[in-house]
Amino acid sequence: MALLFSHPGFAGHVTPPGHPERVDRLRAVEAGLVGLSVERREAVLADLDDVTRCHPRAYADRVAAAVPSAGWAQLDGDTWLSPGSLDAALRAVGGAGAAVDAVLTGVADRAFVACRPPGHHAEAETAMGFCLFGTVAIAAKRALDIHGLSRVAIVDFDVHHGNGTQDLLWDEARCLFASSHQMPLYPGTGAAREQGAHGQIVNAPLPGGSDGAHMRRVYETVIFPRLIDWQPELILISAGFDAHAKDPLAGLEWQAEDYAWLTTRICEIAGHSAGGRVVSCLEGGYDLGALTESVAAHVGVLAA
Amino acid sequence: MTDKAVSEMSFEEAMAALEQVVSQLERGEVALEQSIALYEKGAVLKAHCAAKLKSAEEKVELIRAAEGKAIGTAPVQGL
Repeated sequence: MALLFSHPGFAGHVTPPGHPERVDRLRAVEAGLVGLSVERREAVLADLDDVTRCHPRAYADRVAAAVPSAGWAQLDGDTWLSPGSLDAALRAVGGAGAAVDAVLTGVADRAFVACRPPGHHAEAETAMGFCLFGTVAIAAKRALDIHGLSRVAIVDFDVHHGNGTQDLLWDEARCLFASSHQMPLYPGTGAAREQGAHGQIVNAPLPGGSDGAHMRRVYETVIFPRLIDWQPELILISAGFDAHAKDPLAGLEWQAEDYAWLTTRICEIAGHSAGGRVVSCLEGGYDLGALTESVAAHVGVLAA
Repeated sequence: MTDKAVSEMSFEEAMAALEQVVSQLERGEVALEQSIALYEKGAVLKAHCAAKLKSAEEKVELIRAAEGKAIGTAPVQGL
């Protein structure tokens, strides 16, 4: 059994027609969850103070002030706000925080947060790449500062580099951040030489066109040895499903079973040092069919 | 970047265009939604450069082979 954090408010973040990060993605995610052993919980609303674990208060206030009363406001080439966007982004932060609270207080070992907008591109003072707040980075800070953990790890398998998470946790010696991503591709960061202020960031770029077999070799040789050595007390996942072969926004060739393999290995590693505690948050994934089957594979392992 | 069709580009033109594409992707100048299209253009340019290189290598091999043959078939003095 795994906990599933969701809320109708995530559908209140509406992007303009034709935008790939769209409300329909939630329906695709829900379709992938059908029949799985999950217990549904409410993704509660965080407040702006929670956001300040990673972002300056002035930035959070700026985002809040930019929310339009009707229609859309555009923050960058990709990133839009609708009237419900702030509520949705705060529920993403709140849902991830509640999921961390739940697994660290023994309610369940594993949780999935079916949130949007995604968060891993949001830098300290910059909304970008569909993202407003660094949901997973804020959740990591919560585990460290509120629950008193000393070693947290984040695995980001979204096809785009988690530049925001990297930016927010660059100087956080208590959190390992490991990311695989297609490179070169948006946002341009994520070279292996980018290692964080304390050598606690692991970037594993993947070449365009590479497949699940390549990914498995990279994880087994680059990311998992570092993750195991880190001995995390909690593993967070930035779960983007846009490395799937069918995804329109990237050029990797992963299949649904690759997500099942990856999740299984992460859960095994969590079993060694973290008491099996894993919290996964939705990031990207823009082909609805691929998203359904990938979420089914990923959460199917979490809920097993 | 030039609007010339990739298939009509010289090696130098394609390399310059490819370097520009990679630079744009690495500097994060492109929106997330557009970056895959730019990546795909880069892949076409890379394939074109690779094909041009292969073709040039084959020409060099032909010249080497021809030179070898010419030497081998030249009349040997004294025979």
